[in-house]
Amino acid sequence: MHLVLIIWSMVASACLTLAAMHLLVWWKRRTAWANLLFSLAAIATAAMGGCEVWMMQAETPAQFATALRWIHVPIWVVIVALTGFVLIYLQAGRLWLAWIVITLRTCVLLLNFLVGQNLYFLELTNLRTIPFLGGTVSAPEGILNPILYTGLVSMVASWIFLADATRTVWRRGDRRQAMVVGGSCIFFALTSTIQGSLAIQQIINQPVMLSLFFMGIIAAMASEMARTTVQASQLSDDLSKNETWLDLTADSNDVGFWLWNFKTNLIWATERSRQLYGFSTDEQISFEAFLSRLHPDDRDWVIQASQKSLHEGADFRYDYRVVLPDGRLRWFRVLAKPFFGPSGASERMSGISIDITLQKQMEMELQQKRNELTHVCRVTTMGQLASTLAHELNQPLGAILRNAEAAELFLQNPSPDLDEVRAILADIRKDDQRAGKVIDRMRAMMKQRQAERSRLDLTFMTREVITLVKSDAEKRQVRLAVDIPLTLPPVHGDRVQLQQVLINLLLNALDALDSNHRVKPLVTVAAKTADAAVEIAVSDNGTGHLPHHHRGTRRAVVGGNQWSRRGNLHPLPADCEGR
Amino acid sequence: MNGTAPIVRIVDDDASFLTAVARLLRASGFAVKTFASAAEFLARPELDIPGCVLVDLQMPGLSGLDLQEALAREGEPLPVIFLTGQGDIPTSVKAMRQGAEDFLTKRASKEALLEAVNRAIQRDARERTEHGRIKSLKDLFNTLRPREYEVLQHVVQGKLNKQIASNLGIHERTVKLHRTAIKTKLHVDSTAELTKLWLEFDGMQGS
Repeated sequence: MHLVLIIWSMVASACLTLAAMHLLVWWKRRTAWANLLFSLAAIATAAMGGCEVWMMQAETPAQFATALRWIHVPIWVVIVALTGFVLIYLQAGRLWLAWIVITLRTCVLLLNFLVGQNLYFLELTNLRTIPFLGGTVSAPEGILNPILYTGLVSMVASWIFLADATRTVWRRGDRRQAMVVGGSCIFFALTSTIQGSLAIQQIINQPVMLSLFFMGIIAAMASEMARTTVQASQLSDDLSKNETWLDLTADSNDVGFWLWNFKTNLIWATERSRQLYGFSTDEQISFEAFLSRLHPDDRDWVIQASQKSLHEGADFRYDYRVVLPDGRLRWFRVLAKPFFGPSGASERMSGISIDITLQKQMEMELQQKRNELTHVCRVTTMGQLASTLAHELNQPLGAILRNAEAAELFLQNPSPDLDEVRAILADIRKDDQRAGKVIDRMRAMMKQRQAERSRLDLTFMTREVITLVKSDAEKRQVRLAVDIPLTLPPVHGDRVQLQQVLINLLLNALDALDSNHRVKPLVTVAAKTADAAVEIAVSDNGTGHLPHHHRGTRRAVVGGNQWSRRGNLHPLPADCEGR
Repeated sequence: MNGTAPIVRIVDDDASFLTAVARLLRASGFAVKTFASAAEFLARPELDIPGCVLVDLQMPGLSGLDLQEALAREGEPLPVIFLTGQGDIPTSVKAMRQGAEDFLTKRASKEALLEAVNRAIQRDARERTEHGRIKSLKDLFNTLRPREYEVLQHVVQGKLNKQIASNLGIHERTVKLHRTAIKTKLHVDSTAELTKLWLEFDGMQGS
């Protein structure tokens, strides 16, 4: 008698302790449904044990029958909780099977209370005492209830559900989990049913010991949840490590972290972020306040780009300029990611801002150097060409002049030496031809590069050119608007020469904007198909160099057919209309 | 040396231009000699013949500037006029600093060319005369013996025979003999003439 009480109370207290722990977890985190279900199952198992003790110590058949009736309530709770646990925690099992299990068990519970004294006995007639663990316990005798087998049916349904769920977990690759949770659940459910049935029907001389078997299930569930807890703590360790690294990153580089909450429209930002954008420590940052920091030219497109990112769920990666309250200009590279709630609505955007001002400055300086170099090269080449040309031409021209002057002097003589004059004239002709040859050679030198005609994708080519000119435009604070359709027909032409034409058009447009301060400088590149040609127009909103030129548009008309007929005498492969 | 007609030497690798300039200068009344390269000219410069050099600045091999430097090393500078297809400032500055008479483009006007040639010849003649005078004076004074030279130094300072005698520690009569010898050797009659000649010689040496 002693031992039974000790064992059963140990089981009950173990179950209640685990239940209390997990109930607390659920209390702190209401979404942790698995913990709640586990607690319920553990509490029910303890209750089951209580009912069993009640039965073992029953003194009248009526007492035993009542205890046996009430034990079905904790059984119902355990089975429902276990089914829910498998569904939620293991993410396995078929929902419809689960509903069948629960419905069947509920039917069993109702029948238990409605038909006979309980599920097993129509009437309990007698109690006998059987020896158990060194003492004696009560065992029932009476007329068995015909609905007894509905209990078995419900258990079979449970096994099927559990077996199916275990198979899913196994196939998913979580073999350990399948073995520990699924396997032990099936095993203990099976053995408890068998032991219970045999004991009730007096085939074996044992009391009902369901709680001991269910304790096995509870233990399996608990071990699995403990493992998850261990994993979580490891994860938290890793996270704190990562956090340290992130902090170091943020400190060592000019990196700021921020989070934009759409519900409150406020931006949370790290201390470094606030410094970078020129916000004080306790200042509230709204999206509008952030926008006010942006360079005026960057505001519109940043709004558009962030909306696009939210709309498409894509990452936001852009460089933009920020004007600090003290007027300093900084360049930021921003990488951000939108986050969406369960309903699919965007909730927040978190990202980092990296100060790349120095890098941009270096890029710009480099670009400027490159431009200067190009310019110097061009000037030097032209200068050398002109100098060579002058020297080469001055030789024959000088000779011609001196000969002519000499001839004049000879002819002033009353009896001129006509042979000498003839020789002079012959020399003059010779030198004239020599000068002609110099010019021919120069011309040949200047058009040394042969045009190479090929099929061209104008969209791609134009974009290439724009990439080249972009930094120049940025440096001059001119905005480049591009309107090039993706569906331009291919044309035939020389890529290099065409690009040179476009670059010249663009640079001219940029030059035209230099002296203009009133309007925001803008250069538009637009392309369209016109008859059998493609027209690329470069327009600027500058005032131009002459007062009557208000707006300028320069056009390059490119048509495959026209060119092939025109042959290659034209120095440029396209018609260029200046304004 | 004297009486020789000045010759304009023309140095240019461009045969056509060489002929044309030679024709013009001959027609303008100059004696002309042509050379196809600086080396050809330097091989036989005939520096004792007066005149000037008209040289192309840019030539393969020795350039016009090289020719000018070589002439300067000879110590008998013949005026150099540079001709160039196209003049650039650094070269012309260098040429002028080295004492070029002029710097003309090949297509400079006839007047400018002839004026430059005339000026160069005149400068050459003037320099030659000056050089000749200095040389003859030097020869003249070189005929004096050391003691006579010493006495001359005192005489031109206006010192009396007695003072000279005591300064040099010789007899007064010996001083008189020296003075006579000096006058005879330098072909002068009076002490005033002697002093004038000395001042001319001294001035030329100083310059």
